[in-house]
Amino acid sequence: MRKLKRFLNYFVLTAVSLLSVFPLYWMAVSATNKSVDVIAGRLIPGTYLLENWKGLLQAQNVGSALINSFRNSIMLTLAGLLICSIAGYGFEIYHDKGKDTVMSILLLAMMVPFVATLIPLFQMFSKIGLLNSTLGFILPTISTPFLIMLFRQSARSFPHDIIEAARIDGLSEFGIFLRIFIPTMRSTYAAAMTIVFMNAWNNYLWPKVIMLSNEKITMPMMVANLLTGYVIDYGMVMLGVLVCTVPTVVIFSLLQKSFAEGITGAVK
Amino acid sequence: MKSKKKSMGLSKRRNLIGWIFLLPAVLLICGMSFYPMIRALVLSFRTGVGANMKFTGFYNYIRMLQDKVFIQALFNNFFYLIIQVPIMLLLALVLASMLNDKDVKFKGLFRTAIFLPCATSLVSYAIIFRALFALDGFINTMLIKIGILDVPINWLGNAQTAKTVIILALIWRWTGYNMVFYLAGLQNIEYSIYEAAEIDGASPFHQFGRITIPLLKPMILLTAIMSTNGTLQLFDESVNLTNGGPANATITMSHYIYKMSFEYSPNFGYSTAMSFVVLILVAVLAFIQMKTGDKR
Amino acid sequence: MKKVLSILLVLVMAASLAACVTGKNGNSGNTVDNNSADNGGTANAPANTSEGGNTLTVWCWDPAFNIYAMQEAEKVYQKTNPDFKLNIIETPWEDVQTKITTAASSGDLSTLPDIFLMQDNAFQKNYINFPEVFTDLTDSGIDYDSFAQAKAAYSVIDGKNYGVPFDNGTGIDCLRTDILKQAGYTIDDFKDITWDRYIEIGKDVLAKTKMPLLSSQAGSPDLIMEMLQSCGQSLFKEDGSPNIVENQALTEAINVYTTMVKEGILVEVNDWDQYVGTFTNGTVAGTINGCWILASIQTAADQSGKWALTNVPSLKDISNATNYTNNGGSSWGISTNCKNVDLAVDFLSKTFAGSVEFYETILPSSGALATYLPAGKSEVYAQPSEFFGGQKVYADITEFAGKVPSNITGVYYYEARDAVGTAMTNVVSGADLESELKNAEDTVKFQMGQ
Repeated sequence: MRKLKRFLNYFVLTAVSLLSVFPLYWMAVSATNKSVDVIAGRLIPGTYLLENWKGLLQAQNVGSALINSFRNSIMLTLAGLLICSIAGYGFEIYHDKGKDTVMSILLLAMMVPFVATLIPLFQMFSKIGLLNSTLGFILPTISTPFLIMLFRQSARSFPHDIIEAARIDGLSEFGIFLRIFIPTMRSTYAAAMTIVFMNAWNNYLWPKVIMLSNEKITMPMMVANLLTGYVIDYGMVMLGVLVCTVPTVVIFSLLQKSFAEGITGAVK
Repeated sequence: MKSKKKSMGLSKRRNLIGWIFLLPAVLLICGMSFYPMIRALVLSFRTGVGANMKFTGFYNYIRMLQDKVFIQALFNNFFYLIIQVPIMLLLALVLASMLNDKDVKFKGLFRTAIFLPCATSLVSYAIIFRALFALDGFINTMLIKIGILDVPINWLGNAQTAKTVIILALIWRWTGYNMVFYLAGLQNIEYSIYEAAEIDGASPFHQFGRITIPLLKPMILLTAIMSTNGTLQLFDESVNLTNGGPANATITMSHYIYKMSFEYSPNFGYSTAMSFVVLILVAVLAFIQMKTGDKR
Repeated sequence: MKKVLSILLVLVMAASLAACVTGKNGNSGNTVDNNSADNGGTANAPANTSEGGNTLTVWCWDPAFNIYAMQEAEKVYQKTNPDFKLNIIETPWEDVQTKITTAASSGDLSTLPDIFLMQDNAFQKNYINFPEVFTDLTDSGIDYDSFAQAKAAYSVIDGKNYGVPFDNGTGIDCLRTDILKQAGYTIDDFKDITWDRYIEIGKDVLAKTKMPLLSSQAGSPDLIMEMLQSCGQSLFKEDGSPNIVENQALTEAINVYTTMVKEGILVEVNDWDQYVGTFTNGTVAGTINGCWILASIQTAADQSGKWALTNVPSLKDISNATNYTNNGGSSWGISTNCKNVDLAVDFLSKTFAGSVEFYETILPSSGALATYLPAGKSEVYAQPSEFFGGQKVYADITEFAGKVPSNITGVYYYEARDAVGTAMTNVVSGADLESELKNAEDTVKFQMGQ
């Protein structure tokens, strides 16, 4: 029974993993091939990587796009995690009817397609002078109902007796959040960090409207630039896309251990 | 020991602290989402372009009922929602509980691999999916070799099969993403519960149904609401995989709204009105989900 | 455990600090980047245009093509105006459209550049919706007579010029001469023919070589639109009302298309990459498109010398039918946010609208074919192309360009295009043509009646 279960586990996980990895493999292989071979669907690594890389560097300012994307995404991740986790904590730990109602109202904020609020938002940011800036990039998405709710739902399994114990030990309410909640919930923080970073990294519509100079472009904007010509060099595009994908994957593989580890230490 | 009065004061104080914790997040959402939403709502009662807009009441909302493309898009969105979300969430749950098994090795590798699809850029995944499902693509070739098909299917050229491809693509892309939340949620469940259940002779299915699902309920609610929202606002797949075709068979509401705003002669009054219909639909569904799933 | 805790704490603190810092300094740092010293009032937005000075900001999108052309134009103009500088911001066409729509809809034009490149098909739509964005160039001194008339017409609204024509989208029929030879044909058999004759040859070629003559993207009515323009028609009448149900040319075009799909002369593929793949991988014997497709054809280096091109087939029995058409192309516009219109006009009229030498420079390395007629007489344009078996392709295309009939694009071009694309898809899969066209016209009328 146990053996069968284990076999089944490995079989399913391996199959799903292979299916999941295939397009990334194709992308990596294509980055080493000529455009004509990419279109022809070649699945074996080629020798064109260096040429594609040279072409990419010549066509686009990859370095600057990477720095911009990293700066924007890291800022957004940190600010978003701090503000939303404390709010999610507040919603759950001090929960009452009023706060539940507020939460339901906040949820409405994510239900309108972004296209509808784009123009009023642009008008606002243009007036305050936030175009072309990191702050302009991060402000609209620092506080998201999704992230607040993620922390609210996770806080539900946070044992209340720990809070009482900490209060008796004389910790302030904010101290409890900082010293006990954050370390206990690090699996949630790690998961949230990955997701928020990825969303920030891949955000396209907003930066393309507010970033108005070559120095400010982000990675997805760079990839879009590669796809506009009369002739598209697919080998180069795939290399650009690969460079754009790697950071998220690296962050995930670094963090995945933390969000899949059991609760240790702090709780017990 | 404490007097009754003092403890009342304490709970009031704590309640106040609770509100202070919420304040920054709530203020930001008000300024960055609700304010522009109200501006958009006002716009949805107007028609015209730019400075020449005039108030026309519910005209845009009534107009939608006669818009065949919008109704088709609405139908498509619900079709995706009903088929794709349950399959995806169940699959994500199964994978997460498999990966939570203490006996499984190479967990990090599996986790990363299964997460990869949602990190993979849309550009490459759209090209690959279109190539895989082309008339002479890998899928047709395989199915013919195995003997399931006699003649190749024009997957993206046929309304029903094109919808199927979109659903497959969505499941492929977002299962790992949802799995992440379940994995994080599972960490709050004592592993000893499973060990005890195993000693009691509970089958894996039993454990999954009786332990995993009930304990993950808060996370399942979260992912259900997020997936409902994501599916009703679906944009990327419709634009990049099928471009809404064949003959609008796969177009989504968000795709149509975007076209109405930036590709067609812009009609922002109408496109914001359609956006608010999306809001109402998601809100109703989320409300039902909260009512059924958010019991403490 | 303590380690993780402390790392998280530090991160959180860094975050709050960083948020404060950006809050205070983000803005001023940003203004420095944009050289706009203007900090007062509502004009706080980064000024994209130069104030006075000798610099112009440009939005365009293709490094191998229009960006390259702009850079060369800058060099040409610098010869007489050494202080002149261009600030070219690479902006994909879709983003140009999104940015112009967003800026104009929010009533804040300060983010627009001095010069932008616009797709010809979108020019009338944008002007009618946002006239405040465009500078009138009718009396600016730009010599519009030196451009192909059909091309210049794209940026003319109510008799006034708002754009400077740039790249060429003249329709060409490119064919693999080696495959034609196997079937006993030459490129001359395709010159000045009708679509009926094309289908006849197509069947024969298919039978003898198993190669279809054509490929196209399913659902994209590019070929239909090209057939329409070859008769000077479009999906709209002079007065702007849709011309779909009673449009004989359209009915005939869709019939031709459906016949070709049924006979296997035309293969439909799902997207652009696959479309390019059909001729670079050599699975079709030719393609019909705007002349900018040459660049894609030439990426298949192994097919060098095996191609030739000629004019496109014409529709039979339709009045004013010709063998010349157009697909795509773009023109330069000057925004009203431009503080130095004289400079912008002078720059364009001495380069894109006045310098044969400039066009001679950009042609060889970019294949950027002009619609500036005097350039067509240049020696550079008469150079034979090795890839096309020694044919003087540029001279031929420039000759075709002069004969393309002009038509009305209309404000609702993209709506009508999508509706007809839908009709075409349904007809190909067996629906009734007449009722589909009726549906298409209803859809367009619905979308026009906001």
